[in-house]
Amino acid sequence: MSAILEVENVVRAFGAIRAVDGATFTVEEHSVTGLIGPNGAGKTTLFATIAGSLKPSSGRIVFSGRRIDRKPAYRVARAGVVRTYQAARVLTRMSVLDNLLLASKDHPGEGLTGIVLRPRASRDHERRTRARALELLALVGLDSHAHAYAGTLSGGQRKLLDLARVLMLEPSLVLLDEPMAGVAPTLRIELLEHILAVRRELGITFLVVEHDLDFVMQAADRVVVMNEGRVLAIGTPAEVRANEQVVDAYLGTAH
Amino acid sequence: MSILASGGFWAFVGVVAGIYTILSLGLQVQFGFAGLLNFGQVGFMALGAYTMAILVVKEGWSMWLAAPLGVVAAAVGGLLLGLPTLRLRADYFAIVTIAFSEIIRYVATNETSLTGGTQGTIALGPIGTASQYNGGWSTFQTYVQRTLGFSSADATMLVIVWAVAVVLLTLTWLALRTPWGRVLRAVRDDEDAAASLGKNVFAYKLQALALGAALAGVAGLFYAWEFSFFSPDDFEPLLTFFAWMILLLGGIGRVWAVPVGALVFGFIFAGTRFLNFAPFTWVASDERAYIRLIIIGLIILVLVVLRPQGLLGNRREMVLE
Repeated sequence: MSAILEVENVVRAFGAIRAVDGATFTVEEHSVTGLIGPNGAGKTTLFATIAGSLKPSSGRIVFSGRRIDRKPAYRVARAGVVRTYQAARVLTRMSVLDNLLLASKDHPGEGLTGIVLRPRASRDHERRTRARALELLALVGLDSHAHAYAGTLSGGQRKLLDLARVLMLEPSLVLLDEPMAGVAPTLRIELLEHILAVRRELGITFLVVEHDLDFVMQAADRVVVMNEGRVLAIGTPAEVRANEQVVDAYLGTAH
Repeated sequence: MSILASGGFWAFVGVVAGIYTILSLGLQVQFGFAGLLNFGQVGFMALGAYTMAILVVKEGWSMWLAAPLGVVAAAVGGLLLGLPTLRLRADYFAIVTIAFSEIIRYVATNETSLTGGTQGTIALGPIGTASQYNGGWSTFQTYVQRTLGFSSADATMLVIVWAVAVVLLTLTWLALRTPWGRVLRAVRDDEDAAASLGKNVFAYKLQALALGAALAGVAGLFYAWEFSFFSPDDFEPLLTFFAWMILLLGGIGRVWAVPVGALVFGFIFAGTRFLNFAPFTWVASDERAYIRLIIIGLIILVLVVLRPQGLLGNRREMVLE
């Protein structure tokens, strides 16, 4: 196995506060890697930094051998690193299907020159995109909602839509920010199964921030534990669970 | 009351509504579809009108070359304004746009040698000559009038303005139904989400701003041709806010709501000049002009309460979270 993502000494400061303070770890290709840590450990900031919505104050982020830490978010996404948000950022005023169509890659019809000069290429691409979108909607069980406004979906359904939308982009690495938060317990199992199936069938790598430790222990091959902006421990779920420092970080030293 | 029955007057009202339609359509593209709070739309209108008039009078260009260049100038103005400012937060961007349109107006007022200054376009040419920029347009308009067999120039202008407006509305409507328009709406609703889906948010905003500016440029041309004369005073910020009222009346995010809003606005605005009966006569006639703005303001207030989506807007889209 080789590393698909290398995070090297990444620092992200907001004024005097160093939310991420020299984090270093790697994510192996085709793995599900959990990123855990107590509140304020810097997980979400690190996520935003990897995805390009924040620039690191120092350090390097290398994806598939290429530095991505100076690229804007949309270029990071096009390179194949796609993130989701804690509260699924679906476009509520668009239909569920439009949400997926929006996530098409290299669509000629998304440029003004394309719609004028290459209308046929645009139509063909739209047709293929639509077929793929309907497939993915069926996969996550939202096909009956295709033409409803995304704003009418429940929190859990939005997470499924978000996952399907991410898959439309054919990413190599997906960053999931608390995929289980706000999802009904019955939907959680379904969501977990989808993630594992996607990894198995499409070979997509996942880096997952999650507070639900059961989920992390079940799904992750490796776990990165952060505390106060730094990486505290890296290992298999079993190793991490046995680590004294990790237990201290979560429960405080006086337990 | 004889003016009420005069076809010429109502044709004039219709022409102005058509010009407002084109102006507000630009705003609809920028705000209704890309979420850009532009309070400087009138500045682009001025760029279009002045570029055309200056090229015709000072450079002796044909109207057929000068007019498209006026539209290009307005679009370039949009690009130049957008490049340094579109990364600002929405409210700061709004402030910059109003400053932009005032800068255009003050430049037009003070650069007398270029624009004729406060005397307006009549002073565009050499001193002592009253210059006209619409010779080419008049020839064209007369030709159209003869071809259509119309007896009145007003009716001819009405047909031309609305034909252009309908073409522009249709083109805009078609463009916004493409995948390009879909991305634009995504940028409007959640630009972070759009960026994380690989969309170059900045480029889309810039395109929307420039296209909306180009439409304002077209409105500027027709404004110039309809009145045969203009000066910097014609491009006060109030005109931008008229366009905003039209957007609110018609409905935000709907292309075909724009002409509806513009017609309602135009006819209320013109119709209220006939309020020459009590209690309106208690107010001096020159002050009575303000009453129409009060009436439009009240209508918008009532609309916001009872029908916040405007006459043709989509209520469901407004309440979804």
